Amino acid sequence: MTTVPTLARSYEALCPKVMQRLLELRGTLDPSLGRLDEATARTQIGAVLDHLGNFLATGDVGLQRGFLHTFLAMRAAEAQSPAATLAMLVAIGDTAAQVAQEEVAGGELTLLLTRVTASTARAVNDLIAEELGRRAAQRNEITQRRGAR
Amino acid sequence: MRSAGDSHRGKVRRTNEDSLIVEPRMGLYAVLDGMGGANAGDVASQLARDTIRDFVMHRQHTLAPAALLEAAIVAGSTAVFTEAQNKTDRHGMGTTVVACLVVDPAHIVVCHVGDSRAYLLREGRLQAVTRDHTIVAELVERGLLTSEEAERHPYKNVLSRNLGAKAEARVDTVMLEVKPGDRLLLCSDGLYGFASAEAIQYLLGSGDDPKDVARDLIELALRGGGGDNVSTIVIETAPAAPSSSQVVRTSGARTWWQHRRHFLDAASEGGLADNPIVSGLPPHEALELVALSLCQAIYHDLEKSTGVNVWTFAQNLASGWFQRGGEWEAIRGLVDILAASAHAVVAEIRGADPALGFLIDVAVSRALIVVELALGGLLAERLRQVDADLVELYTIELDTTMHDATSSGSHDAMVIAEPSASDASREPAARDSAGTITALTSRESLATIDAPALRESMSTFTSLTAPEAAATIAELDASDSDAGTTTAMERISFDDPEPDREPPPSEPVAARDARPTPPPPPPRAMPPPVPARAAPPPVPARVGARNLSADAAAHAASGGGLRPLVRTADTERVERFSELSIERATIPFLRPDRPVTNAGEPAEVLSAIAQVMILARGRISPRARLLEQVLAALDNVASDSAGNFAAAVLAARELYGVRSVDNVGVMPLFDALDQARILVAASVHQLRAPQLLRVRVLRALSTAHQRLVGATTGLVLEAVAPFSDRLRESQGLTGELRDAVAKAERRRAHLERRFATIVDSSLPWGTRGTTEW
Repeated sequence: MTTVPTLARSYEALCPKVMQRLLELRGTLDPSLGRLDEATARTQIGAVLDHLGNFLATGDVGLQRGFLHTFLAMRAAEAQSPAATLAMLVAIGDTAAQVAQEEVAGGELTLLLTRVTASTARAVNDLIAEELGRRAAQRNEITQRRGAR
Repeated sequence: MRSAGDSHRGKVRRTNEDSLIVEPRMGLYAVLDGMGGANAGDVASQLARDTIRDFVMHRQHTLAPAALLEAAIVAGSTAVFTEAQNKTDRHGMGTTVVACLVVDPAHIVVCHVGDSRAYLLREGRLQAVTRDHTIVAELVERGLLTSEEAERHPYKNVLSRNLGAKAEARVDTVMLEVKPGDRLLLCSDGLYGFASAEAIQYLLGSGDDPKDVARDLIELALRGGGGDNVSTIVIETAPAAPSSSQVVRTSGARTWWQHRRHFLDAASEGGLADNPIVSGLPPHEALELVALSLCQAIYHDLEKSTGVNVWTFAQNLASGWFQRGGEWEAIRGLVDILAASAHAVVAEIRGADPALGFLIDVAVSRALIVVELALGGLLAERLRQVDADLVELYTIELDTTMHDATSSGSHDAMVIAEPSASDASREPAARDSAGTITALTSRESLATIDAPALRESMSTFTSLTAPEAAATIAELDASDSDAGTTTAMERISFDDPEPDREPPPSEPVAARDARPTPPPPPPRAMPPPVPARAAPPPVPARVGARNLSADAAAHAASGGGLRPLVRTADTERVERFSELSIERATIPFLRPDRPVTNAGEPAEVLSAIAQVMILARGRISPRARLLEQVLAALDNVASDSAGNFAAAVLAARELYGVRSVDNVGVMPLFDALDQARILVAASVHQLRAPQLLRVRVLRALSTAHQRLVGATTGLVLEAVAPFSDRLRESQGLTGELRDAVAKAERRRAHLERRFATIVDSSLPWGTRGTTEW
């Protein structure tokens, strides 16, 4: 029997502390996040933390991919490069794991959060690579078309 | 409590005049530094050493610890003084002393005379416990000298107190409260005179056995010159529980490295040698180049609690592959193999030592995150480069297409001006030219074009400057309002590159089809992008567009038969334009599975949209001005019968004009867009209309909303382009700094290798062999 629901509950209980830590550190996590007022930053960080909780509870890769797709698009609209978005997501996951290490005995939640962060980083890279592939194909097509003329 | 002491005569002195007391059973430790006369210094220190030790041994239970140690030191002084008085060749001999007596596990009494010192290392910080008994130090204490002056003072080494100068010595005593993990160092001036405090702190805090630390400290002084006898005693209280990071840095790193063979085997079984990145290399070489390098990088990062080695490994690997034109899938596959190998090793370690394995598991997982971060940075940089290429290519493409459209547009318009041309003959002509925007140029299809909006849109992307575009729009509007029924041909002739050219005679369709297509004009140089703020203000283009639509409707009603052609040409035009500027837009992460097409809506739908908007406006607060503006923009875009992207761009520009990424950010605008979508959808359900009509209205509004959001996102990206350049510059600088850090790390590692005292050949570059795990 899996222990994930238990860990997901532990994570939910831990979330306020993680949020507090992230709000304190948001200026160092991400410059654009640091410029936001606390309420807006809370909303953005909260979305990522909620996603982490959902992924811990369900392990649904499709949901994770959908969330990350939207998150990347939103951050891109705010002039955030994909690399910076990736760094921010990793920093949030890392902070959550750090708080879990300090607050939760046993350490399994820390390990799980670290692995979820690794999975998130991989998913983001896959999305960036897909986008890169599409755009490179477009570029090649246009270049060939112009060459044919 | 562990302890150890060591002594060395140094590189200059012929004899060692230092003496030590290391008596763990009694809890007595002392360093004595003898001085004066031929062979007398060692006599003084040894005599004092023996006296102190005997005194403590015999009277240990008769006096309090501090009094006992003080009395013992005084006895030692008396003995040396007496000996010096009795033998003339030993006259003037003396010795310093720093001694400590362990009272209990939490208390140590320290006494000293002279310039031998005691240091306490607590939580990694080195603190001096004693104060030198020199003339200069006392002058500094009285405020007669500054610290800087004392450093240069010729008598800085002249003692103000020692054992043997007088029968009784004045002893300074300190009672220390010690904690688990503390380390106490007793030393002669041969150590601190030839080694920096930082180096002493580093060695004392290394976690090594006290015996090794005592010896390493002496080595340190010898490397610093060894100009004097050097003696050290290291006393360690009960060890504190090691932190998880300490465990990872020591036993974790070592255990990981010990399992390197398993890592290589797992990578080999995982098919690393078959990966395209290492194709062409012999399997063993591929394993060494990739798997062993990563294994080594993880080891170094575990030991140093950094990620720089793994980062450098991943970046070097991926950048080389990408520069060769390699694909992401190969890197992804390789990293998967390495990650699986790492997890296999971790699983094995966890089986043998669950606690340690768990810590290594977390640390290795974090190292793999660092790998992903490095790869993500490279991918993002490549994406940015491709985006920049696409923007340039699209600009040239649109420029060329517009030139073609305007050139053949005037020509076809003149053909259509011939009233004898039948509908049946024009329809194939339009179909034959499908796929190019020249198909738009029949009179009827022109009538459906929102010419001002299209022109405005094009001016943003092509070579028209802002004033030119504004002049064009103003003229078109003037013609709209003055004539009202101005023909589309006349409007288009505005853009005819040869406006004075006489219309050619009509020709048969077959001859027209056979006519060779004129070569496209050479692409003009890419114009500088028009900043969002510098663009001409949006104009009320709706009146003209509605008139044109009315013309088309009237024509279709009277003449009939041409509507299929109009729709076909219109659809082709929209598809063509969408292909260029919407579905293949340069907006990152725009979902490709949502084509944006709108071929214009009939009057009943437009009327229903107007009703929906009235309902939606009635549901918002009067103070929600931004939301009201968004609804108005949505109304404009949805009612745009021309069905192109220009209306959305105009509306978005108007909305974006009041927002700035530097001010409150664009999120309120996007929030308002989202609220408007919800409001409008709810209002459609309130509309009293047939179900089919409501569906069409909802579809039109959804399309309009999608366009508006897309256009707004495009404007945001355009506005932040300068910041992206700065970001790129910063990334370049960051890269240089990272390289510098990596270089410094390598230099540091080289120095550590060079100065390591004992080399353990089982480790990759050696470490002190008896590290305490």
